[in-house]
Amino acid sequence: MKKLARRDRMKIYRDILSVIQSSEKTEKIILTRIQQKTNVPFDRLKAYMLELGELGLIQNEPSPMLTEKGQKYLIEYEKVQEFMKRMGLAYQDET
Amino acid sequence: MANVALVSMEFVSAAISFILATFMMRPYLYTAERRFVGLPLGFTFLGVSYLLRGLTIYVSNPLADEMKWVHLFTEVYAFAFLAVTYYFSERELNPKKRLLWQSIFSGLILAVIATYFVIFEPFIPLFALPNYKLADTYRSLFGMILATYISVYTLRSQARNPDAKTIYAPLGYILLAFGEYSSLIWSMDSSFSALVGEYVIRLAGLSIFLFISYKTFSAKDPP
Repeated sequence: MKKLARRDRMKIYRDILSVIQSSEKTEKIILTRIQQKTNVPFDRLKAYMLELGELGLIQNEPSPMLTEKGQKYLIEYEKVQEFMKRMGLAYQDET
Repeated sequence: MANVALVSMEFVSAAISFILATFMMRPYLYTAERRFVGLPLGFTFLGVSYLLRGLTIYVSNPLADEMKWVHLFTEVYAFAFLAVTYYFSERELNPKKRLLWQSIFSGLILAVIATYFVIFEPFIPLFALPNYKLADTYRSLFGMILATYISVYTLRSQARNPDAKTIYAPLGYILLAFGEYSSLIWSMDSSFSALVGEYVIRLAGLSIFLFISYKTFSAKDPP
């Protein structure tokens, strides 16, 4: 059986933000959908959503939506992953 | 005239290293993994080392002796921080390996503090330290070994996931290793061509890292 890689907090943030970004224009996002896509337990997901809101990366009302800062974070995160790959570091994101 | 050119190359190397350190800060910030702090530290130390070499070897100042020794150790620590970061850069670190990283990193920090304390401690005369020329030879040798290790590490990473974009980093580290090799030759036979070679090769290596950083972070769209 394939072992699932442990995700660090930043990777989980990225996963949550990606789900919100990919759905925000077409539908109203509910937490259950984010939970299914990110595979994070519901209680922890709620805590992460609060943290992301406090960091100004999403706005939770009326439904989760990426802020401009959140969009910048996602772009920057991808660039950093690419940078680490180009620098030959073994730590790379399995997207 | 030659001195001015060499000092300028030291300062340019230092400036590039400091710029690189700001880029290298990002993996640490965006992964929240403390082990990546070795990257900005390594390049900052490299920058400080080149700056001190420029200031001490070619410009006379009252602290020249101390600064020569600081340069020597700072460069060694720079490569040590980089090598340790690469060695522990895999995604999953088991508790045993994480503990090993913590021990080695703490040891390095303690060694840095102890070294600078010994160098600037007025009650320990500098002549009590080993012969500078010999120490400088070991500095080059040590730098060359560590830069070679990182080159091999990044080449293996490239071999696992062949990609045209990832070939530049091994090339950069190979050039840094060759720069240290030229420095080693210069410390043994004092040939001017080896000295110039050291500067040119090192600058080429650092420029490659600058190119990688610029290509990654200056892109307007996501990579």
